[in-house]
Amino acid sequence: MRVIDKEGEKLDLLSVNIGPSHPATHGSLRAICAIDGEKIVAASCEIGYLHRGFEKMVERGTYQQVMPYTDRLNYCSAMLNNIGFCKAVEGMFGIELTERATVIRVIISEMSRFIDHIICVAAALADLGAQTAYFYLFVPREEGMNIWEKLTGARLTNSYARIGGLYRDLYEGFEEDTLRLMTLTEKGLSDVLGLVDRNKIFLDRTQGVAAISQKDAISYGWTGPCLRATGVDRDMRKDEPYYGYETYDFDTVVGSTGDTYDRLMVRIYEVRESISIIRQALKRLKPGPVNVEDPRVSLPQHINAYQDMEALINRFKLVYEGVHVPKGEHYDGIEAANGELGFFIVSDGTGNPWRIKVRPPCLTQFAAFAHLVEGAMIPDAIACLSSINIIAGELDR
Amino acid sequence: MSKFDYTKALVPSTPESREANLTKVFDLLASRLRIVIDPQEHCAKSAIVDRSLLHTAVTILRDTPELGFDLLLDIVGIDYLNYLDHQGPRFAVVYLFKSLKVSGQRFQLKVLVDEEDLVVPTISDLYSIADWAEREVYDQFGVRFEGHPNLKRLLNHFEFVGHPLRKDYPATKRQWLSTNDPMLDQLEARLKHNGFELLDPVPVNTPAVEDVIKGSRQ
Repeated sequence: MRVIDKEGEKLDLLSVNIGPSHPATHGSLRAICAIDGEKIVAASCEIGYLHRGFEKMVERGTYQQVMPYTDRLNYCSAMLNNIGFCKAVEGMFGIELTERATVIRVIISEMSRFIDHIICVAAALADLGAQTAYFYLFVPREEGMNIWEKLTGARLTNSYARIGGLYRDLYEGFEEDTLRLMTLTEKGLSDVLGLVDRNKIFLDRTQGVAAISQKDAISYGWTGPCLRATGVDRDMRKDEPYYGYETYDFDTVVGSTGDTYDRLMVRIYEVRESISIIRQALKRLKPGPVNVEDPRVSLPQHINAYQDMEALINRFKLVYEGVHVPKGEHYDGIEAANGELGFFIVSDGTGNPWRIKVRPPCLTQFAAFAHLVEGAMIPDAIACLSSINIIAGELDR
Repeated sequence: MSKFDYTKALVPSTPESREANLTKVFDLLASRLRIVIDPQEHCAKSAIVDRSLLHTAVTILRDTPELGFDLLLDIVGIDYLNYLDHQGPRFAVVYLFKSLKVSGQRFQLKVLVDEEDLVVPTISDLYSIADWAEREVYDQFGVRFEGHPNLKRLLNHFEFVGHPLRKDYPATKRQWLSTNDPMLDQLEARLKHNGFELLDPVPVNTPAVEDVIKGSRQ
């Protein structure tokens, strides 16, 4: 591509595809770049390689059947997606969760959040060539996976939240497992920080690379850790507290320049805040029911369903027709690992959703990718891509 | 917009303060524009604005200091075909806004459009994210956004025919899609946007939809 630049100099640019199938594009993303030497002067992105038609599929089932689909949105923190969806549906009913369910949801949310963060940091460092850090962080992640397997029966795409409560109560020994996981995570993180904190290669590769201003980040609709990396102190857990987050003692982690370094560091330090929230929440766990006693949403106990006609009918109707969500339109979101994960639900009063729109936090970040990498080098683009933590399952739905 | 100090944390909002904020925003907007709350029960949470006033309304929402809706969360398309007791146009486009200046302040704007005249003015000049969000609504519902710089499909393949999230698009329908999108036109547009002058632009060769389908089947 022969062009004339702003100074009137003739350049011969080369157009290069990064992705869709490239080890560094975690998932299938495509960015076509015009390069001058090794510098990217223009970029354009294409998504949709993992588009499964989530929003069309969920219209064919009941509200309960949406649950396993939500696991496949952000598969690094699957249970956060369940919680987000359940919160939106519960908002339409106006259901108040039981105290135990609320605390467990906080624990599970924070656990998913920090595991998502350490996967992001580990993968980002591996992309930068720091393979050791990857293994240091995947040890605690594996421990987390074991907990999830014991809790839900699945390692990766696990669904735990249910409308009106949870799939089941915590297993015996969950607390000890979680405490061990947190100790391991803290050790892994301090090991990794020791490797990269004052590492010249890491600092050169990340500081000042692919920075974004506050104004641009807001205009691109950024939320979550990436927005906080630019210095904007906004967190849904603080501004619009849900599940009693206002009663926990934690800080929002903010960066200052919004570059790759800040985005990674915000994630690393948020892990510590999440661990501190879990420590506080574990102390609040009191025995009690995990599902609300509401015949509109929760299945009756087996013992009742087999002995009582009404309970049997209730169970049958809930399973076959789904929960009858009140007619209306409702948007609700949670602070997911990547930013605000929202669900816009349109209900026509039947057990099947009329329309569910997911507001994926990744999409806004990837929409800004071309803007971020222009002026940077190709290896910087790879570092930038891993720092904005694109999960293709959520991006393409 | 850039003068506001975002580095200071906000006071946490409560459900009551959010409710009060919503009323306040609605009153303020209603004093400057003709908007209504949809009388239909199922749409009651959004303010309905005529599409000719959309751009003005969004500008007011974004630029009035006490509203400060600086974040466009999402644009949602809805198809009301055969929706129970629905009256009026078939399609709706809902804009979700959030304020980073006032704690817990959110707002929904809704535009109703008929199937025969599926055009809505773009707001991609006001929010950068609206570019992709509008492309997605166009892709899934076929709503055309007037003035959009590059109204291409976002999630579906560029050879795809039809708009899959419409209620009359069968979920089991299959299409054979084969060719890659070269995307050079997009790259060239971006180069021009960045101040480069193209000496030998790639000839624009957009095949007709029928040719693409025929070509794919061979």
